[in-house]
Parts: sequence; structure tokens; C-alpha cells
Amino acid sequence: MNSQRKHIKQLSEPEIIELAKTDQKYFGELYNTYFQRIFRFVFKRLGGNEEVANDLTQQTFIKAMANIAKYEDRGLPFSSWLFRIAQNEVSMFFRSQKNGYTVEIEDWRMKDLCSEGNILGYMTQEDQEKLVGLLNEMEQEHLDLIELRFFQEMSFKEISEIYNITEANAKMRVYRILEKLKNKWTASL
Amino acid sequence: MDRIAMRKFSMKQDDRPIEPTMEQIQRNQDFSKLYHEYERLTKRGKKPIYRDPKLYLLMVLIGIIALLLFFEG
Repeated sequence: MNSQRKHIKQLSEPEIIELAKTDQKYFGELYNTYFQRIFRFVFKRLGGNEEVANDLTQQTFIKAMANIAKYEDRGLPFSSWLFRIAQNEVSMFFRSQKNGYTVEIEDWRMKDLCSEGNILGYMTQEDQEKLVGLLNEMEQEHLDLIELRFFQEMSFKEISEIYNITEANAKMRVYRILEKLKNKWTASL
Repeated sequence: MDRIAMRKFSMKQDDRPIEPTMEQIQRNQDFSKLYHEYERLTKRGKKPIYRDPKLYLLMVLIGIIALLLFFEG
């Protein structure tokens, strides 16, 4: 077992992925490498719900394990494929919540969002609540991008890898959503 | 209407950061559990022999024939 682990450690990630396609036991190495990042991602998207985060992370890896044979290296990091699966799992979970699911946001994240969107310089608590209300009126896909950028603190490059789009396109989409939010804010004054 | 998010945001009222602790991460990281769950899910469709009436009858028939051949001998 130790010699096998040593053997795996000597392999590159693409080699491990190829082995995992025919023998799922090799998938364990990928699981151990990426578990923390995926769990952290899901945990934060759920606003800190450990139990559901564990279930959805498990689902993510089970789906990845079941579909690894179809995985193709297109020059993107393997993690972006896992993040995409995790992103879908979280979205499906949100959709399954008939009464809605509330995610709490820290105020400094809202300040970051306002600063980057050039929405408001100084925010009172009332402003924050109002802006959160406007966010809640936006579409799921738009909120996903806002979450990735401001609540998960992902770079445009990371976002582009998850969505399989160019970095410029990711940036453009985020700024369009911010513009939309800014217009909603202005209209609400 | 279904395009409107089922997820809602609200402002956090306490200062506790939304980050999992190392203890939480380690508590949930378990590949052997995941592997067993994967095996259970992927083998879920296979029925045990005694639950498949056709296969069960065939096995009984083979048993009877074997028994008859044994007594015949």
C-alpha cells in the first residue's frame, strides 16, 4: 500500500487522471488533493451549512468519479471541472428548496461589491439591506457570478475556467451585472 | 418565474466568518466512505438472485434435476 502511494506521488496529475479512468481507486489521490477547495467552496456558497456542504461535496466527487472516463484535458485545470460540477450541485440544491434558502453575507463583501461596481461610496446598514433586496430580485445565473467574484473571491481567470469562457468575457459578464445592479439602485432612490 | 433565484441573501448579523475550520474539513474528508457510497450507488441496480423470479425458478429447476440425477445414480 505504501509503495503504491509512493508510486502515485511520483506521477503527474494528468497521469493520475488517466489511471483513475480505468481504476477508481486512483481517484482517491485527486479527491485528497481537491477535497479542501471544493468543500470550502460549497460551504461558503451555503453560508456555512456544514451538513449540506458535506452532502453536496460528496455528490460532487461521486459525479466526478462516475464521469471521469469522459473527462478531456482541454488545457484547463482539473479543478475547474470539479468546481463546475460543484456549482451545478449547489444550484440544484437551491432549486430544490421550495421555500428558498438564505445565504448570509458579511458586510465587507457587500462593500467590495459596491466599490467594484461603483455603486455607492459609503454604505449605511439600511443601504446594505436595500442592496441585498435588489440582489434578491436578480436572476440565478447573475447571482452565481456575483457570488463567485465577490463572495468566493475568485479571479476572472478562475471564473472563466469554470464557465469555459474567456477571461475577458467573464469580466464583461460580471461588469454588466454590476451595471444592472447599479441601475436598479439608482432607480430605487 | 423559475428563473428567479430560490436562494436569497441576507446581511450577516454576527462577526463569525463564513469559512470552514480545519477540524470541519478533516471531519468530512473521507475517501473510503465516498468509495463505498459510489460502489453502493453503481451496483444498486443488481437484484439478488432470490428476488429475480425467473432466475430463482431456473436455479430450483437445476437443483431438482441435479437431485434426480443423484438419486438415479
